[in-house]
Order: sequence, then C-alpha cells, then structure tokens
Amino acid sequence: MTFRTRLLLIFTVAVVASVALVEWLVADSTRQAFERMETQRVNGLVAQFRKEFAQRGQEIVRAVNGIAASEAAVNIAISADYSPYYNDAASLAAAHGLGLLELVAGDGTIVSSAEWPARFGYKEDWLAERADWESPGAFLKREELPDGVTVSLVAVSTARAGDRKLYVAGGQQLDRDFLSSLVLPEGMRVLLYRNLEARFSPAELVGGQAEDLPRVQPLIEEVQQRKREIGRTLGSGSSAETFHALPLMGYQNDLLGVLLIASSRRELVELESVLRRTGMGVAAAGILLGIALSWWATARVTRPVRRLAESAARVATGDWGATVESSSADEIGQLARAFNRMTRELVAQRERLVQAERVAAWRELARRLAHELKNPLFPLQITVENMQRARERHPEQFDEVFREGAATLLAELANLKQIVARFSDFAKMPAPQMQEVSFNELVNDTLKLFEPQLAQARVRANAALDPRLRPVQADPEQMTGVLRNLILNAIDAMPEGGTLTVRTSALEGGVRLEVSDTGQGLTPEESRRLFTPYYTTKTHGTGLGLAIVQSVVSDHHGRISVESSPGKGTTFRIELG
Amino acid sequence: MRLMSSPWFAACNLALAALAAATAAAATRPHYGGTLHVEIWRSFETPDPPTSGYGMPDLARAFVITRWEAGRRAVYEADENAPGGRPFLDTVEIEMARSLRDQSIDLELGKTDLVELGPSELRRQPAGRKVWPSAPVRLMALVFGSRVEDARIREALALAVDRTAIHNVLLQRQGEVSAALLPQWLSGYAFLFPAAADAARARMLVAGLPAAARAISLGVEDAAARPIAERIALNARDAGLAVSVVPQAAGADARLVEVRIGSLDPALALASTAASLGLPEPPRADSPEALYAAERALLEGFRVIPLFHLPDVYGVSPRVKGRPGITPLGEWRFENLWVEGGRP
Repeated sequence: MTFRTRLLLIFTVAVVASVALVEWLVADSTRQAFERMETQRVNGLVAQFRKEFAQRGQEIVRAVNGIAASEAAVNIAISADYSPYYNDAASLAAAHGLGLLELVAGDGTIVSSAEWPARFGYKEDWLAERADWESPGAFLKREELPDGVTVSLVAVSTARAGDRKLYVAGGQQLDRDFLSSLVLPEGMRVLLYRNLEARFSPAELVGGQAEDLPRVQPLIEEVQQRKREIGRTLGSGSSAETFHALPLMGYQNDLLGVLLIASSRRELVELESVLRRTGMGVAAAGILLGIALSWWATARVTRPVRRLAESAARVATGDWGATVESSSADEIGQLARAFNRMTRELVAQRERLVQAERVAAWRELARRLAHELKNPLFPLQITVENMQRARERHPEQFDEVFREGAATLLAELANLKQIVARFSDFAKMPAPQMQEVSFNELVNDTLKLFEPQLAQARVRANAALDPRLRPVQADPEQMTGVLRNLILNAIDAMPEGGTLTVRTSALEGGVRLEVSDTGQGLTPEESRRLFTPYYTTKTHGTGLGLAIVQSVVSDHHGRISVESSPGKGTTFRIELG
Repeated sequence: MRLMSSPWFAACNLALAALAAATAAAATRPHYGGTLHVEIWRSFETPDPPTSGYGMPDLARAFVITRWEAGRRAVYEADENAPGGRPFLDTVEIEMARSLRDQSIDLELGKTDLVELGPSELRRQPAGRKVWPSAPVRLMALVFGSRVEDARIREALALAVDRTAIHNVLLQRQGEVSAALLPQWLSGYAFLFPAAADAARARMLVAGLPAAARAISLGVEDAAARPIAERIALNARDAGLAVSVVPQAAGADARLVEVRIGSLDPALALASTAASLGLPEPPRADSPEALYAAERALLEGFRVIPLFHLPDVYGVSPRVKGRPGITPLGEWRFENLWVEGGRP
C-alpha cells in the first residue's frame, strides 16, 4: 500500500467518521425536537378531545335540565297516576337529542324509559341515594339495556312540583355512534373499552379494528390495574400510534371504561424519514466531496515524497546522481534537500571508494600475480642457474642437465600458462547461452565423469534428484562448469574421504541445486569471504573458482548461498528461476 | 264454591245496553240518509269482502257491498229489504289499513265518524268524546309450541309475568287481568285462576336448568302488542328466563296471541277458544262447576297462559246519532245509526 493510499485511507476514514458523527448528532437532535413537538401536538389533541368530551357532557346536562324544567316533566311530577306517561321518555329524548332518558318518580320507580320502555315500574334506587344531582354534572354510569350492558354518559336533574319530584336521567351511550359523533382532529382516532367484564373481553372494545386488539390489550389491562392515565407508543414505522389511555371512572369511582385516544405518528415518521434520507444524502455528498478533497490533498502532500521515493529508487538502481526538486521550506523540503546532499555525498564517496577499490584490486592482482608467478619463476631461475653452472663447471654433464632443465622449464612454463589461462577465463566470462536444461541429467552426467576421481578420493557420491523437476532455462556448459567446480571443492574438502550429496528440488518455475560434503566445514569468516575473488582456503587454489561460480549464477539471475559450520560439512545452494 | 250464572249476566248486560240505546235514541229524531265513515287498522287483502268474523261481516244483515277495493276501501249501501227494515244510513264507507294513531287524528279532524281506539289513543281523547266499548271479548294469551317441553319453564313464565303492571300502563287499564280463558263477565269464575306474579317461585322453578333450556323466543306478529311482549321478556329475565321477542310467530317457541270470544254461551265460547288456541276440545259442561273444571283441565300444563281480556273500543264522532252501534260481543250494528246531515 502506497503512502498516498494509506494517507487517503486515513483521510477517508476521518471524513466518514466526522460526517457520520455530525449526521447522527443532527439527526438525533432533530428527532428529539420533533418528538417534543409531537408530544406537544398529541397533548394538545388530547386536551382538545377532553374539551370535546366535557362539552358533550355539558350538552347532556343542558338537555336534561331542559327536560326537567319543561311543562311535561312538571305535569308528570304532579300526576297521581304515572301510567299515561310511560311512553313519554322516548319522545322527550328524541326532542332533546338524547339517546337515553328515564323519567323516575320520587320513590325511584321508573315512569318511562326511552332506552328500555318495558322497564316502567322498575326501581332506580341509585337516584334516591343522592340529594343533589345538579352538582356532579355529567358522569359515567353502567347502563343495562335490553341487548346488554353498556356505559353511558348521563346527567340527572330533578323536576319539582311542591313536595313531589321527578328525576330526569338522560344521556348518551358510549358506543360507536357516540365516538363517531365526536369531532376529532386529523390523524386522531378514539377507541373505547367498556370495562364491563371481570377480565379483558375483545367484544367490549368499541371503535377499534381486529388488529388493534393485541396491541391495546396490555395497555388496557395496565389501566385496569393502575387506574390512571397512561401514554404509550404502539406499533412501529408509519403505522405507529401514540395512545393515551384514560380511565373512565363512574360516579361511584368505579372504573367503567378505558378511553384510548390514538394519534397517528405517520406524519412524524414520514418527516423523520425524509430528514433521514436528506441527511444521508448530504452526508454521502459530504463524504464524496471529502474523499475528492482528500485525493487532491494527498496527491499534493505525497508528490514530494513520491519524488523522493523515486529518486531513492533510482539511487538503489545505481543512479547515484538522482536528485529531488525541492522548493518548499517544510519538513518535506528539508528532507529533499538532505536527500540531495546525501546523494551528492554518496556519489563523491563512491568515486573515492571506486578509486580505492581499483587501487586495492590492482594491488591484490599484483600480489596474486606475484604470488602465482613467483612459484614457477623460482624453479625457472634455479633450473637456468643449474644449466649455467653445469655448462661452466661440468660441460660433460651439460646435456643431461639441459635435458632435465628443459623438461623442468617446460613444465613450469606450462604451469605459468595455466595460471595465465585462469586469469584470462575470469576476465572473459561470456554471456550465458540459454536453453532448456534438465538439471537431473546434468547432475547424473557430471557425477559419471567424476567417478574415477571420487573413487580415488574415497568419496561416496549420492544423488538425491527430484523427479518432478522440469527443464529450466540455463546455459548447460556454464552450469556444468559450476557443478564441476562445486564437486571439486567438495572432493578437496574431504581429504580423508566422505560423502558427496548432490540434491535437486523443484521450485516454482525453477530449480534448487544443493552440493553437500561431509568435510571439516567453514568458519563464519570463511563462509562470508568465500566468494571474494582470489580468496581461497586451499594452498594451491587461485581463489577464482567460487567467484566464477557466483558470476555464472548471477548471470542466470540466480542466487548462491553457503551453509556451513566447522566439523559438520558444507552445503552450497543454488536457486534458479 | 258457588258460581254466578254467566248467561244471566249476559242477558243483564244486553238489557242494559238496550236501555242505554233507547235513552240515546230519545235524544234526537232519526234521520234517513247519509254516509257513515269508518276506519279500521285491519287490512283484508282478499278478492271478496270477508263473510265471517267480526266487523265488516256484521254489516251483511242490513247492507250490501257495492264497492270492494281489497286492502283499502269498502262501500256498503243500505239493503232496502233488510229483515229488520231499511237502515237509516244510506251508505257505510270503510277505510282499511289505517293505524290507530291516524284513525284517532282523523276522528279529531272530523274526517271520519267511527274509529278504533287503542289504549294510548283512548287516553288522548278529549273530554266528552263518545266512546263505544264492547265487553272484554278478546283474550290475550301466551301459547307455547311443542318445543318447550319442560312444564317448569312454562309455569315459570306464567308466574313471572306482571299482568297488573301491563294492564295499568300498557293497556291503560282497558279490559281486565285474567288467568282464565273465559272472561269473568261470561264465566263468573275467572277470578279463581290466580293471576298474581310470583318471580321468586318462578326463579326457583328454573334454577338449575341449563341456559339453553331457559332461552325462549316469543313471536309477536302484531306490532301493537310488541310492548307487551317486551315487558313479558323483561319480567321473564327477572325470573331467570331469557325471552327474546321476534316478529315472526311461526317457528317461535311461544306466541303472544289474541283470540276472540265467539259466543255468549260459556260452554261454546270455551270450546271455540280452546280450538283457536290449539287446546283439546273440552268436555261438554252443563254446569258452571263442570265448565270450571274443564277450563282448569285445559290450562294445566301451562301450554296456554291467559293474560288479559280486552274490549273493542271505538271512538265516535258527535255527528253519529243513535244507540251504540257495537254489541257487548263487539259486533257492528249500524242499521239503527244515523248521521247529522242526512235527509230529515
């Protein structure tokens, strides 16, 4: 991952996190604000509904008082025989817009009942239990009707004529019609649960739908237990509603019903949804803009660094003259200038080093040449001097001495020639001629050539060849030379005999070749310097063999390494491919 | 127990009626001619005028039908050869299917001369309104179908009904409370059948019975009788019975019916009433005691629960002159009536 990518990633994460945090904070504060507004709206609606409910109660009170003050009620009150009036309640109720009306004599006997005409003559003892019915206004009451029990909103008034009185008890059933007659604000609906059974009864839920039952039942049961108003949001999404459950207490403080005022949260949810979508859109746009700006900023910030890296890479590839353009005064500029100083120093030092190495190389070459040439030169000098002395002092033996001396001179000259040839080979090192080479065959052929030498040196050869090995692009002659060199080194390393192991193994598109001996091994210092030209641990070596091997392997774009420790043998490992 | 002779009572009633008619006749001189306008609530949808029953069929003795509009209107004209002589009236025009309330209004507005009055309408009549009532000749009773097999249910309902309250309020004290088939004026022993409500005993009778057995449907075809049925249902509820009022009598467990007493002879009246109610024919009784025993036997088992005996009541316009045109049995006797404005 590039520095720029990493920087862009960091910027992006920072932008996304910041925008998300801001969006969340804005959305949360907005949602809370809307919730507060919704609560205020619902409270307002509930208050409006309460007012409407109270107004309906006042209307009932007015109607009942009107009936009680009417001439008809007074006539009934003063009548000695109530039987002619048994049907009057129905007409009075219709005239005053009441659904329920009972005219009850002072002793509690029903004179006429609009809702249940057949109940004339029955007793309504609860009316006689209270002296003043005007003060409570409208109240809730459990009402028995021909088709069952219901809850009604009623008021009681008294028509008086002398010492006679007539109770007028009228009102409305709290039923579906009553609920639908209430003027409700938009988005609000009202459900009524009539608390007429000991346990929750679905049949007593008025104004609701079947799907409301499982939602509102726990709320109703909670109100039944606690007998106080409870507000709760039921449902989810746009179908959610805020319910205010109001206990409806009767005039004897008994719970007669639960009024459920439901306010739809659809508008709020839709508004929140729009805001959320808008917020997410703005956030996404912000993130994209942030990423774009980050892209631009990282490009601007990392450009000097990238140039620095490119220059460093050029330096790494050998272009030590690479420099970085620097115009800023910030840390990057300082770094660029330091880099330029560093490369200048490097170039200068390299030139000094090259010169020093060149001198050292010449010195080493001179030393090696002197050393290599000194050995054959000394016998040459001795031989020539012997020949001169024999000619001067023993002419009769000169021929014999000349023959021996000529032979010695020829031998030493051949030795000198060989030395010169080795130096020449090291200097030549032709480019490898690549072709497909089977290293297993190459190993077998080479080992076969060395069989007499191995036998003479009491070295046992062991070839561990990987059958999966495929042909690899290489120069067969140079690689044969490499293998020969390593085998000869191994034989030299085991003067007392031992085991030579040549192992091949397949790599991904290449080959690993290992040559191991069981000789004395190398010290770490020897291992480190082993491939240095002219370095040798042998008395008769030129120190060029492993240098040539390393050069060949390098020309094949391969790698050579040595693994050795004193007393445990040495393994040379070549990897190609 | 010594019972009064019913036929004797009937004769006395008839004599009193005749005396009253003579007194009324003496008030004005009869006039010939004129048309008597009558309204009734019943509607005869038959192709021809009815020839049996009460009301219009009674006119056949002195009038002949001249116009018949089934279900709407009938016109009778005086029969010149009537056995008792030509009626004073030229024509009797009858308008059918008029509600009791409309009839009362029409009478009040002078649009008609003779109307039927129900309890509510009778209460609303102005002071001085001439009213012709018959004797209580209509028996209102509950009749059980065969599905209600448990006699305890039937007896419980009989005990639950508060006849007095219904009589006082819904019937405006018209007629009389009764638990007998024949009215007191005809049999003389009707008071011996207990008519008082006993809700406590009724509850005891049905206690322990399953709810299904205590559910009864009560069929009432006459809308005017529906309030009575509703009150009976309410009384039954107090006794632990679940009575539901239905508008169709057919298929109901019980029916609220009216049966007309068709004879001044108590034995014949009992027989015809029993037949009308689906009861077995009583044995021929030649004494009040035997008649009482026969009627008691008919009512055992509570298949029929008599409730009230009700009269026919007619409101009459001041234009109508002559003795009452309604007999104690509710028969129309219009041949001796005349109306103001007829030929002098």
